[in-house]
Amino acid sequence: MLVNGLLLGGLYALVAVGLSLVWGITNIINFAHGGMIMLGAYVTFWLFHLYGVDPFLSLPVSMVMMFFFGLAVHRTLLHSVLKRADFVFSVLLLTFALEMFLSNAAALAWTADFRSVTVSYAGTSVAIGPVFVPVVDLAVLVTAIVLILGLWLYLTGTKTGQAILATGLDAEAAKMMGIEVDRIYAVTFAIGSALAGAAGSLLAILTAVNPYFGGAYTFRAALVGILGGLGSIPGVLLGGIVVGMAETAGSVLIAPAYRLFVSFVLLVVILIVRPTGLLGSAFFGRMESE
Amino acid sequence: MSGRITRNELLLGLAVVAVLALAPVALNQYWIRVVTKVLLFAVLASAWNLMAGFCGYPSFGQVAFFGLGAYVTAVEMVRFHVPFVLSLVLAIVLSVVFAVLVGLPVLRLRGHYFAVATLGIAEATKQVVANLAIAGGGEGISFPLPPWTPEVTTRVFYYSMGLVLAAMLVTFRLAIRSRPGYAWRGIHANEEAAQVLGINTTFYKVVAWAISAFFTSLVGGIYGYWIGFIEPNSMFSANVTVEMVVVALLGGSGTLLGPLLGSAVFEVLSEVVWAHFLNVHDLVLAVLFGIIILFLPGGLITYVGRGGRQVRRAVS
Repeated sequence: MLVNGLLLGGLYALVAVGLSLVWGITNIINFAHGGMIMLGAYVTFWLFHLYGVDPFLSLPVSMVMMFFFGLAVHRTLLHSVLKRADFVFSVLLLTFALEMFLSNAAALAWTADFRSVTVSYAGTSVAIGPVFVPVVDLAVLVTAIVLILGLWLYLTGTKTGQAILATGLDAEAAKMMGIEVDRIYAVTFAIGSALAGAAGSLLAILTAVNPYFGGAYTFRAALVGILGGLGSIPGVLLGGIVVGMAETAGSVLIAPAYRLFVSFVLLVVILIVRPTGLLGSAFFGRMESE
Repeated sequence: MSGRITRNELLLGLAVVAVLALAPVALNQYWIRVVTKVLLFAVLASAWNLMAGFCGYPSFGQVAFFGLGAYVTAVEMVRFHVPFVLSLVLAIVLSVVFAVLVGLPVLRLRGHYFAVATLGIAEATKQVVANLAIAGGGEGISFPLPPWTPEVTTRVFYYSMGLVLAAMLVTFRLAIRSRPGYAWRGIHANEEAAQVLGINTTFYKVVAWAISAFFTSLVGGIYGYWIGFIEPNSMFSANVTVEMVVVALLGGSGTLLGPLLGSAVFEVLSEVVWAHFLNVHDLVLAVLFGIIILFLPGGLITYVGRGGRQVRRAVS
């Protein structure tokens, strides 16, 4: 159970990291995050199905594709409403509309059937102490953690990364330092989208996917993001593991069907007790939406 | 300014009620059903609008009350043989109690946090209902057949929806021009300032949320009995929430009559045009949704207001 929770947690951390980053830095919540996860999953599915590409190798492809998709969405759709006084509300609705559009367009193009990717090494397991863990699960966990750490290094170690963090801290001050805030927002959104694509690719390996499967992950991603403190990368890892553990415990102790319900109760409790998240500080856990 | 209804409003209201009351004489069964759906979404969109448009709390979980209304009514009628009206009353009571209990913590949140939490309410409620044996689980549950002929049944549901809408409009109209209405707009404009002025913001938010849940679950119960068979995926579908939001925004949120206008335009359009393209219905809905937000932020009602002023100017 502990191992399962940990595996699930790593995956949830990756699912959430893009959403949390975008939310923390640009104060946009992307309700189409699930739709982007779904697109990433389909990239992996089709590359595997048509050309036999190993799902782990298709990961960069879906990341690059979703990066440019996110950039295009930000430049065309979101950019026009960001100047409005009620932009929080407008962006929420607009990304919600995008989510609907993506899932329905995908259902039309590829049918609503569940698809799955079964690799040749799906059956093999390795022993970790007393339990056997499937090799695939372990590889997914490692990939997820590597991607999250990679993001962390990028944000703290590169010029653009530091510009992103600075913009999240104080957009006005960043502008005065010569940072092009509009460009940073677009790039941040694109990185968030690429990470959604990566999460989708990994999810396609573990579960069957269909055009509507992403929606539930948008909510989980938001939950993990809030738990960890918005925009905080270590927080996302911790939040993912907490949610993964809680859902696994809920599945075992109550019933698997109540997993999302457990998450919801957790969300309400966290929001009441500690709205800035577990690792959130004043900077990362801005309560103000205005 | 008093909360009383003016003579002009009363005359206009009575005229509309008269037209709607006599409409079934002129309309065939199909169009009576279409208008019933217009009335249904006018209520749903108005209930959403009360929270989003007046209080500034856009809820993405309204469908939870809609589904609960239908489900509690169904379970009482099927499993305990309670008559329809009594079942409906109990369903509303339960939904309102649920709204207050969930609202107390959730309404403390704002902006994104509130949106995410309400989305969670809807998803979590769906999962619980889908796994309750008494509610038929994932397979759904069938209402008993209404005891009337099909023609009478169509009219009963039409008039029920109409009555609910009328009752709701009177309630909202009285509320927004009196103490609660001022409190709601104060909360929308600046919640801290409203608090400083001595307004118990939590109390008024919960009141709005409870009224919203009251009407949403009420039409949920009627709708369920009308269509006869309900299942978790359709009754708790996010698409129902989206339709409420689209209708309210199309007409104009934050206004009393905007959602009504939006519902009339949207539902008739939806029937006429999209009856021919069933499989792209939701896709078109999504595109329309995007277009409204990008190009029509005030809703259709702003054009009606502008047109009305121009006509008046031309006449005088």
